Amino acid sequence: MTRTSAPGVRVKDLTVVYKTPAGELPALGGVSLSLAPGTITGIVGESGSGKSTLALSLLNAVQPPGRIKEGTVEIDGLGNVVELTGEELRRVRGRQVGYVFQAAQNSLNPLKTVGKQLLDLGRSHDFDDLPALLKDARALLGRMGLDGGRVLDSYQHELSGGMRQRVGIMFALVLNAHLVVLDEPTTALDMITQAAILKIVRDVHHERGLTTLIITHDMGVAAEVTDSLAVMYGGRVVEHGPTTEVLGAPRHPYTKGLIRAIPRLSGDIDEARALPGRPPTLGTIPKQGCVFRERCPLRIAVCDTVDPEPVTRDARTVACHAVGRLATPVVPKEYV
Amino acid sequence: MITASGITKTYKQRGNMLGARAVPALRGVDFAIEKGGAVTFIGESGCGKTTLGRIVAGLESYDGGDIVIDGTPMSSLKPRHREPFFRRIQLIHQDPYSALNPTRTIHQTLAAPLALRAKQTGRGKAWMEERARELLALVGIDPGYVLPRYPHQLSGGMRQRVVIARALTVDPEVLVADESVSMIDVSLRLGVLALLKDLRERLNVSVLFITHDIATARYIGGDGELYVIYRGQVVESGPTEQVISGPVHPYTQSLLSAIPVLHGVERPGPERVVPTEALNEAHPDTGCLFARRCPFRTDRCEAALPALVSDGAQAHACYHPQRRNVIPVEAA
Repeated sequence: MTRTSAPGVRVKDLTVVYKTPAGELPALGGVSLSLAPGTITGIVGESGSGKSTLALSLLNAVQPPGRIKEGTVEIDGLGNVVELTGEELRRVRGRQVGYVFQAAQNSLNPLKTVGKQLLDLGRSHDFDDLPALLKDARALLGRMGLDGGRVLDSYQHELSGGMRQRVGIMFALVLNAHLVVLDEPTTALDMITQAAILKIVRDVHHERGLTTLIITHDMGVAAEVTDSLAVMYGGRVVEHGPTTEVLGAPRHPYTKGLIRAIPRLSGDIDEARALPGRPPTLGTIPKQGCVFRERCPLRIAVCDTVDPEPVTRDARTVACHAVGRLATPVVPKEYV
Repeated sequence: MITASGITKTYKQRGNMLGARAVPALRGVDFAIEKGGAVTFIGESGCGKTTLGRIVAGLESYDGGDIVIDGTPMSSLKPRHREPFFRRIQLIHQDPYSALNPTRTIHQTLAAPLALRAKQTGRGKAWMEERARELLALVGIDPGYVLPRYPHQLSGGMRQRVVIARALTVDPEVLVADESVSMIDVSLRLGVLALLKDLRERLNVSVLFITHDIATARYIGGDGELYVIYRGQVVESGPTEQVISGPVHPYTQSLLSAIPVLHGVERPGPERVVPTEALNEAHPDTGCLFARRCPFRTDRCEAALPALVSDGAQAHACYHPQRRNVIPVEAA
């Protein structure tokens, strides 16, 4: 049942809660998001925005004390993965959905060579032709500019951060998954290595015909590789649309603030402005009303009581009372 | 105020049966920091920039060259006599999560260095209390909220501000900020950068800013000097804005080209430079250190190491310097 083409993904009304001494707190509050087949989607958010939780939900891999409380995750060819359990779920992971974990540089087994770990992976997915798997891995590593044979014979400590990151990507792709999730693929790498990894992600995506999801806190990373961009805040997707449009003409005040907070290489550097306040944590996400209102320059009365529904217009989705209701463009208050 | 000349540092890797290996971290670095000025060092991880910051802060020894502070060469002093000089230079750590003692409240954290200061200046407990509050207010956090709390109760941005406040307890003249915002949430990052910029203006402290993110250097020290360091050697230097908009060394150009382009807001620079290989410490260091990765290398580059030569304001260590347009331009 291995698919040979890029699947589409539809997340609907997904609510994930974490059990804490203060009761069950929502890390995701009814998130809906579609990934079109064959595209690269980026999810940008700060720590605590729920972006990693959303990514883990695609594998139905939210760990206790967290659990998926409501909602569905439909993946073409797999159905609703929220309902998969046990052996079924294990087979899907890796085979259908490839995942490069956050800090993939440190997620290899230090006691086994990369090649041994690859054979373990093959056996756990009942591969009969292990030599072919090794051959595929070597080809993939070669494609990413590494000496495949040497890397397979290496332990993790013999590889640099950028090389380990590429090994992580190889593991996600080698079983021929067509949906690939990369969680913070370039964090802790320096600029030149980051640029090289992003180019590899983009090239491999096109060559193999994948649907790719990239989770990042760095707007620049998302801007560089994605077709479509979702911005998360406080367990909500507050804005989603084509990347160049979201960056060029952001609608949600959080997206606008985030873009203004990036120091850039060209233009007037003093136009960069910090966002006031700080992002909410699991315990401080407001129970009712808009999650961004405390930091918002467009706050109006209704924001205190009603959580804004995402509204889609011209392929762009925005969840904001102030933006949704005004037909004419808003002149935002200055950030100070 | 501080002049460093020809600083060298070599780390010895513990030997195996084939003998020890010497790893040069700094190969003769010169720079000067003026009162209230800003100096930025940029480079990849492993280029020696963190070592340099620790040497300037007096936390690490150097093998060759000298640091001269207000006319006094540090090599002429015994280690304990250097202390009062280096106390005026304070390091702000990279990681606000590990830089604070988790078992101490912020009050205790600030009280220790303030007690030292109070003793030196003959002031009492009341002054310490007042000064702690004053410093926290200066870095933009509410003293009443922060003082009784432990580090784990604060956000990353707040912790970094506490670390900065702690550095300020001894009235330093230079702050060495080593990747001081890389671990902070994006929306809060610029706030901490703005604070450092503000401290430069209000307290007239100098900032030695160490980073791999050139755009943040532009924000804090746009009026200062930029040094691009590669495998322990300065390969290009000059006024920050000038080097960013007109880099002539292929390594500087590679660094600037690697910065992600905000498509929709910017267009990529037309002459972006991509290194032909990844950084490899094992590359020979007989010729230009960057030669193996350089798309423009010639035989000459592999023969001898080019020296840093100045053409007016900007200096470069390259046999084939050429200005290239690599940074993004605003989209119309």
